[in-house]
Amino acid sequence: MKKWLSLLLVLALFLGSAAAESVEPGLLRAAVRYDISTMDVAETTDNYLIPLNVMDRLFETRLVDGKAQVLNSLAADYSVSEDGRTYRFTLRDGVVFSNGSPLTASDVQFSFERLLKVGRQNTDIPLEIEGGEALLKGEADSLKGFQVEDDTRFTITLTEPNAGFTAELSSPAMSIVDAETMAQVTGFGKVPADTIGSGPYIVTEWVANDHYTLVQNERYWGPEPSVKKVIIRVEPDAGTQNLKFQSGELDLIDLESLDSAIVASVYKTGMADRIVSTPRVGVIFMMMNEENEFLKDVRVRRAIGMAVNVDAVIQGVFMGDAIREKGIIPTGIWGHNDALEGFAYDPEGARKLLAEAGYADGQIHFEISMDTSSSTAVQLICASVSQNLEAVGIRAEIVSYEHSAWLAHRGTGKMDSFMATWSMDYNDPANVMYTFFGSEANSKGRSLNYADTDIIHRVAAARAIVDDAARMQEYQALEEKLIQEDAAWIPLCTNLHLYCMGDRVASFAPHWAGFSDFYAADVVLK
Amino acid sequence: MLRTLAQRLVQAVIVLAGVMLLIFVMLRIVPGNPVETLMGEHANQETISRVSEEMGLDQPLHIQFFRYLSSALQGDFGTSFTLGKPVSRLLRSAFVNTLILALFAALFAWIIGIGCGVLAAVTKNRLPDRIFTGFSLLGISLPVFMAAMFLQYVFAFRLHWLPISGADSWTGFILPGIALGWNSAGQIAQMTRVTLLETLQEDYIDTALAKGLSPARTVVRHALRNAMLPVLTMMAIQLSGLLSGAVITETVFSLNGLGRLMVQAISGRDIPLLQGTALFTTGIVILGSLAADCLYAVLDPRIRKGG
Repeated sequence: MKKWLSLLLVLALFLGSAAAESVEPGLLRAAVRYDISTMDVAETTDNYLIPLNVMDRLFETRLVDGKAQVLNSLAADYSVSEDGRTYRFTLRDGVVFSNGSPLTASDVQFSFERLLKVGRQNTDIPLEIEGGEALLKGEADSLKGFQVEDDTRFTITLTEPNAGFTAELSSPAMSIVDAETMAQVTGFGKVPADTIGSGPYIVTEWVANDHYTLVQNERYWGPEPSVKKVIIRVEPDAGTQNLKFQSGELDLIDLESLDSAIVASVYKTGMADRIVSTPRVGVIFMMMNEENEFLKDVRVRRAIGMAVNVDAVIQGVFMGDAIREKGIIPTGIWGHNDALEGFAYDPEGARKLLAEAGYADGQIHFEISMDTSSSTAVQLICASVSQNLEAVGIRAEIVSYEHSAWLAHRGTGKMDSFMATWSMDYNDPANVMYTFFGSEANSKGRSLNYADTDIIHRVAAARAIVDDAARMQEYQALEEKLIQEDAAWIPLCTNLHLYCMGDRVASFAPHWAGFSDFYAADVVLK
Repeated sequence: MLRTLAQRLVQAVIVLAGVMLLIFVMLRIVPGNPVETLMGEHANQETISRVSEEMGLDQPLHIQFFRYLSSALQGDFGTSFTLGKPVSRLLRSAFVNTLILALFAALFAWIIGIGCGVLAAVTKNRLPDRIFTGFSLLGISLPVFMAAMFLQYVFAFRLHWLPISGADSWTGFILPGIALGWNSAGQIAQMTRVTLLETLQEDYIDTALAKGLSPARTVVRHALRNAMLPVLTMMAIQLSGLLSGAVITETVFSLNGLGRLMVQAISGRDIPLLQGTALFTTGIVILGSLAADCLYAVLDPRIRKGG
């Protein structure tokens, strides 16, 4: 018996010692819940962790004194023609890719053209360049509007003026790849060794559904990062991430995936000084189909806006970690209007408005179509809004759809209503305004069926206003019309994206738009 | 015996072909376009058409099916839409983890299950029997996620004996193996107790004891050997179940196994991956049941002779 006990003790000690390993200096250990599907921006609109860290763009959007600003990155300088269509860029001198190959204007051209030639995603921005449509359809070999002058200088001519173009170029979608490498490799975006960029890190390992590793790029042109190596583990269970962070096995934890009760009881009490946050720049909103027999009446839509208790959502779903939104252009985005009135919570007023519209007896019923892949928060908000509407006599039944079925249903233009989040891809109002209200196809494709074609044309035209002040004024006027007059969109809130830093981390700046993907160079280790 | 085996093999091929056809048809009749799901918000029609063509989804259904069938017969299940890697390679790497996990779970279930079952049977209606029967009931009724979280909290987070998650070394499979095998252990313990009690009533047991054989030797060498037949069948079927993936255990302990791969395929409407994982796990279950039948025939001469 004694022998067995000794053996058990030795085994326990062995296992225990295996669990407690020392941490390599300069190493950052983080976790994500879902693995990436690709490292190539031509294949994804949301797997940006690798492109953000391994590749560069002409511009980067960063938070400066709490405000998002578009800063030069690979572009050392640029100028815009008077008509706002032609941009002339000069590249930063001496930038090389991690394999030593110089980054030139031809690489920029190759990167943009590639999105249209072979890309499956992110075709919107290069399509704005003259000749983009022809390249996408295979009717041309190159972008007519992209002219290379020499290795560092080039001009881009757009089909129509777009004052937000430099902001668009800061989107991860517009990452620059090495044309020379791309001609030699077959595994770009899938094989780490083939996935070359000019950013501060090199990706060295990607084990599907397990982990990926980044190491410092010694040839990087920018400041040397504090983090020399990053290991991102795929930990699908939020509870497991919580235990690993608390036991010191992770240096950074994304609190968004944790149960809000754990965040409140463990992190906000014991580790409040280590929590950093940034608004998820985007809006959680309710969309209503203006072709629905009830929702076509603006009084009904306005009543819905008044019936929704947004403050209760902020407290109940986000434990107070959210900002109330009153319009379409979210807080933190250039052009956001603080003075917009929005809809005040007024269930009594909503009831009166419904009675005025002839619906005093609870005749209104429609469906809130819920995408089962949407976040837990959005699903809870669906339930909360449905209850709010019930209280004013509207039956809004939640019906769940699997993601593909939801998209297909929405695409028919016949979905009654839905709740969703729009996260901004770049710091310009066009990103959200044009997507939802910029064309009849965009409006119908999202089951909105917004009827005022004059406004649709104005939203499309606003992108071309070269003068920033005039453009902002136009966007704000349009937003006021869409919200206050037409009640075409019910804004709810923007949640804060909270992270907690471990003992080894001195500071961390989350992504400006609150993405889950972050710049490892924005982490400073102790 | 050989004839039975041949018959079962033919049946297995028919079932596999049926499952293949069923999955193929079902994935194409459910609402939603997989390419649009993959492309998301920003895709334009030209890109959707081009990608559909690249994936062969623009072809008539029967051509898609025969192309899939001929590739599958050559071991090529296509490329995953969402992970961008060959399905066969993804299945292989996930299966290695699932196999190790299943072996750990099975080993735990067999040792604990048979041990508890035997001890409960030989101490029938006494305190140890009640304790071991209670333990087996707990095993059957305790949800896997609770067992997983409990083990993870106590042995990894509090005591630091084992890793919280991950498969960096063999120690990473101990806790998930126990969590996954917990339920099977309970079932095996119950089955062992019942069958052993029945066997212990047999005349030849009394004869063995009357001849002066020790009770322990009688139980192990005579009673247990005969009582194990239904238990072994159960173990073989359980093993095939364990090998087809364990979503919850793999998720809690961050193991890249077949269960997680299948969930990923479903949530991303990843047709090649879903077809591949479904076919692969069906194959494992069929093989498991085939193995159980063979084992039964080998162990029981009455079945073997009956053909």
